[in-house]
Amino acid sequence: MTLAIPHQQRMPLAIAALGFLFLGLFLLYPLFNVFSASVLDAEGEKFTFANYVKVLGRPFYRAAVTNTLAIGVAATITTTLISVPFAFALARLPVPGKAAILALAAMPLVLPSFVSAYAIVLLLGRAGIVTQWLNSWGIGFGSIYGAGGIVLVYTLTLYPYVLLPTMAGFKAVDVSVEEAAQSLGSSPRRTLWTVTLPIVIPSILAGGLLVFIETLENFGVPFVLAEDLPIFAVEAFKLFIGETAPNPSSAGVLGVLLILTTAAVLLVQRRYLSARRFATGARAAPPTLQVGPGVRVAAAVYCWTIVLLALVPFFAIVVLSFMEFRGPVLHPNFSLENFAILFDRSTRPLLNTLLFATLAAIGVTLVGVPIAYVVTRMRSTMASVLDVIATLPFAVAGTVLAIGFVVSFNSGWLILTGGPLIMVLAYTVRKVPFAVRSSSAILHQIDPSLEEASISLGRSPLQTFGRILVPLMLGGILSGFVLTWVTVASELSATVVLYSGPWRTLTVVMFQALESGGGGVATAAASTLIVVTLLPIALLYRLVQRYELS
Amino acid sequence: MTGIVIEGVTRSFGTVRAVDGVDLTVGDGEFFTLLGPSGCGKTTLLRMIAGFCELDGGEIRFGQKRIDRLPAHTRDIGMVFQNYAVFPNLTVAGNVAYGLKARRVAAADLARRVDEALALVQLAGYGERWPHQLSGGQLQRVAIARALVIRPQVLLFDEPLSNLDARLRVSMRAEIRELQKSLGITAIYVTHDQEEAMSVSDRIALMQNGKLEQVGAPAEIYRNPASRFAAEFMGTTNLVEARALGRDGADLVSLRPEALRLDAEAPPGWPRIGGSVVHVEILGPITRFDVRLVDGSLLKVAALDEPHRTLAPGAAVMLAYDPARVTVLP
Repeated sequence: MTLAIPHQQRMPLAIAALGFLFLGLFLLYPLFNVFSASVLDAEGEKFTFANYVKVLGRPFYRAAVTNTLAIGVAATITTTLISVPFAFALARLPVPGKAAILALAAMPLVLPSFVSAYAIVLLLGRAGIVTQWLNSWGIGFGSIYGAGGIVLVYTLTLYPYVLLPTMAGFKAVDVSVEEAAQSLGSSPRRTLWTVTLPIVIPSILAGGLLVFIETLENFGVPFVLAEDLPIFAVEAFKLFIGETAPNPSSAGVLGVLLILTTAAVLLVQRRYLSARRFATGARAAPPTLQVGPGVRVAAAVYCWTIVLLALVPFFAIVVLSFMEFRGPVLHPNFSLENFAILFDRSTRPLLNTLLFATLAAIGVTLVGVPIAYVVTRMRSTMASVLDVIATLPFAVAGTVLAIGFVVSFNSGWLILTGGPLIMVLAYTVRKVPFAVRSSSAILHQIDPSLEEASISLGRSPLQTFGRILVPLMLGGILSGFVLTWVTVASELSATVVLYSGPWRTLTVVMFQALESGGGGVATAAASTLIVVTLLPIALLYRLVQRYELS
Repeated sequence: MTGIVIEGVTRSFGTVRAVDGVDLTVGDGEFFTLLGPSGCGKTTLLRMIAGFCELDGGEIRFGQKRIDRLPAHTRDIGMVFQNYAVFPNLTVAGNVAYGLKARRVAAADLARRVDEALALVQLAGYGERWPHQLSGGQLQRVAIARALVIRPQVLLFDEPLSNLDARLRVSMRAEIRELQKSLGITAIYVTHDQEEAMSVSDRIALMQNGKLEQVGAPAEIYRNPASRFAAEFMGTTNLVEARALGRDGADLVSLRPEALRLDAEAPPGWPRIGGSVVHVEILGPITRFDVRLVDGSLLKVAALDEPHRTLAPGAAVMLAYDPARVTVLP
């Protein structure tokens, strides 16, 4: 018997089947196990909602929920407030060094945010350099620990999520709409408030939502700065590590709540944005506005201050990593001692980081690019379902996915715990949405008739994919690869749950050094991490430049 | 070289029958055009032949060989697309060589055939250029060379000229026709442009709502439209009741504007009808004017330019028409 699958659908269907298999096994199955852990009793036998009652019955965990949401909302508001004027200045005002500002503004997106948090502690914490210096002058300020510090770090590291789309939004406003408003008697200021800003609002909201979701999932920043303040992701981790019963029910409850919150936020965003598409079809970017010298200077100072302020913590870490730590106190004796200690112990963590990042980036490309193809080229319910599932990791905190991995793969037919593969697989699943999004963005711009032309000339769909689509998508595939590589190298939330013995990464070394108060090793690991993440970005930049010149 | 047989071909998208029981036979070496408004099913039918769209029912044969179940890349078809679909990551020569490489043509032979094909479309010496350096017309020539060079059994054209400007369209369509005739490859051409279809085709299939409305030589469909749709789609026409022209019956008749003349310019045997001029356009070679008849119906008239003719809105005129060119519609 032959299967009656039309020949032009065989390749997409095969890809979709493999995609469902991979995501089913390494995303849905672990998530299902987290869910079932939350609704089973401690022995994992009887169905019960008792865990939810137990966890939510304790003020401590209720506080974790409200704290996380409140900090997320606060950080979303602060990032939006600083980013919207910033975006407007970059899009419409004469600011010197725009290209440099843009390059620098994108850096916090790839640098590990918990490194920034740690730098803030070293600078502004109890024994911080700045704190002590100010204290010696008799000046004190509030504690950097807790919600305030967390919001500060989120603002400094996540503002590009709002800045970049908002700037694109301002640039996409058709200037004739503004001219129409002014010809109808609206002043430039009123035009900005009544015409330009409303058009840009969907972009601002899209960016703000990314910030909010990032804050819900973030493990490293609250881990460094929260101290006694209970936060979702950290408490889920602590519960999981501390739970001795075979069924991690309490961690499961927090995990499920975390997923539900992000999913709800994403749904609301989709609903809201789908009703508001203010495409104005601008043919050219709107012109730079003519403003007086006062506004000009203010805009330049504003933009440069934010960009540099966000990078100060990273710069500080690099400087501090050459200094001597005696307990928590720093001494200005510059040497390579910290790095010597870090690498004397073992170079394995660095090598592991490089290895895992490379393997995960390969995995993400192999899984994400074909899925993007199916999602963009097939119009069917199956393709939409695959799209939703491939976007799902975005709504799943690394901690929760990792807990699901441990529960799913520590016994039974597929045992992965204790090895390196489980980490690579978790990274791959977490970053698949990146590859799917970036590849489908390019695929949307590649006319399907190019594929049909190739097929009609005698190349099979698979050969066409390799010979026409892959070369055309290469730029996007490569930048997706580097982005995955970089974010995996600084991944912490899933790593701390999944690492074992010899498979520690740089982030784990830093995490452990932080726990044991080894400031020297922590800073050395952090600055190594900074170099490791910035090098590939610089390489990619060079490569793209050369590619565009030829 | 092959004739194409299409039998009972059907395809629905949801509740829409895009192609609805089409039967067609295209002769060996024939230039055959699928003509119709957008959404009539012509492109769907072409894509079925190419293998990019499945059939719900019916079959398609090239000669004796049934091809509608074959994968698209094994059908041996040269296809030219509306948006050229020239591979931007390959040079002009690379584009033309693409199908030859898929057929594992030896290197020496390959270079010669690429050069021949480029010369054929007047792009000799353009082999090393990149697509982004070419104009729209040149890109479409590359696409045509790429489709011809593999010596396909069948050439398919999917609105190949609609992205070009008007002047280029006219010269390119003559070139396409000439190439096809000199190579003798059976061609199916899709367009919504009636004039383009008439200029290139041996035969035209006029389509509407997924069905064939009329199949025939261009002049035959123009002169003897089988339906009101055919009469209107194949050019400007007057659709009036027979009695408005002074004839018996209430049948709808089609009378082309050029079959009407002013009384003074017409042969004596033609029937006369009176009316008044409503609107005059002097377009250069042709003057168009509308005449309101006594019963209220409006007739469009087209006449060659005539320096001594004076026509002004409001003037009473006597028209004459060629009785042999009145088509009674069902």
